[in-house]
Amino acid sequence: MKAAFAFLVAGLALLAPAAALAHHSFAAEYDTKKPVTLKGTVTNVEWTNPHARFYLDVKDDSGTVTHWNLELASPNVLVRQGWSRHTLKVGDQVTVEGAQAKDGSQMANARTVTLSDGKKVFAFSPSDAPAQ
Amino acid sequence: MKSKLVGLQLAAIAAVFAVGAAAQAPTTAPAKSSTLNPSEATAPAGGGANPDVVRRRPREVAPQGPTPRLPDGHPDLSGVWNGGGPVGDLAQGLAPGETIPLLPAAKAIMDKRQSKDDPEANCLPTGIPRIAPYPWRIVQTPTHIFFLFEGNIHSFRQIIMNGKHPDDPDPTWYGNSIGTWDGDTLVVDTIGFNDKFWFDFRGHPHTEQLHTIERYTRKDLGKLENKVTIIDPGDYSKPFTLTFTATLRPKEELMEYICQENQQDAQHMQGNSGLPQNP
Repeated sequence: MKAAFAFLVAGLALLAPAAALAHHSFAAEYDTKKPVTLKGTVTNVEWTNPHARFYLDVKDDSGTVTHWNLELASPNVLVRQGWSRHTLKVGDQVTVEGAQAKDGSQMANARTVTLSDGKKVFAFSPSDAPAQ
Repeated sequence: MKSKLVGLQLAAIAAVFAVGAAAQAPTTAPAKSSTLNPSEATAPAGGGANPDVVRRRPREVAPQGPTPRLPDGHPDLSGVWNGGGPVGDLAQGLAPGETIPLLPAAKAIMDKRQSKDDPEANCLPTGIPRIAPYPWRIVQTPTHIFFLFEGNIHSFRQIIMNGKHPDDPDPTWYGNSIGTWDGDTLVVDTIGFNDKFWFDFRGHPHTEQLHTIERYTRKDLGKLENKVTIIDPGDYSKPFTLTFTATLRPKEELMEYICQENQQDAQHMQGNSGLPQNP
């Protein structure tokens, strides 16, 4: 299984440069120098254009909950990759790695989303690719 | 009344598409099975019961084969395509060593533009020759050719074959397009543009004097070349020509994409559009 996973990662790394672009400049909205890792509970999923989005409640060590807005690719791109509107559900516990919005708001582009069982979903969202 | 008109418009396009598809089907060269990159062909796919397997559809590459033709002998350009125009930077289509002949006043406009104001980011049309990074379909009939866009706000372009431009067209996002055949190349001559759309993420501008001449040549089954000449004495010191290539997506169908549904990007975008971060 481990070998298969390593193979998978290598295969997907080859695919990454082929990721499509979003309808806007990625670099103007997100700062790859502001990477964030967020662990929390999914409170809403919007399977909408131009981007699918989900919202996350993240509790810090003091118990304070912050609400994050996470951007994915468009539903069309995600469906073509094999994902669906059922992939992520309200109540799922997830860990998100992404780039925060340049304006500092609690909004990020979700590069990877990992479910509590370790399964990664929505890999290689197209707007993960820097604008070209 | 408005919704009725839109409904009629869509019905007309659907009818044209159905007729066009029926007419073209018998003579379209059969596509060889799309091939996969070796690395992708063996990549796990399907997911299903195995939680460690990331589900991903294998990426298609352009199919090989001769240029398909219609009964009248003209190349058949119909199909679902990807690419074929600039996205990030108009200069991507220049030949090596060439530069964009931007006039000083146009450069000043570009220098002031902010990414948040890009019409495309605000779910307005790309205009010409910009393309959205989503599939689009050519529907070809003897009298009209339509470009149906999945992205680019789910809009369409209409090219009237062997027509005539109006004397004083209203300025619009896609202008007034007349098509003619030059041998195996479809030539699309367009005037009557508004000055609202940007050519790319960087904000290359244009004026209402813009005149584009696109030359579409289906080089083979899987590749459609677009050689487009930009003529705009308002913003550019001389005409210049860019070359882009669209790739056939033989198994693709267009999907709905209503950009205005949940647009939250533009209000979070920052900075000048022309910065090198958008090369």
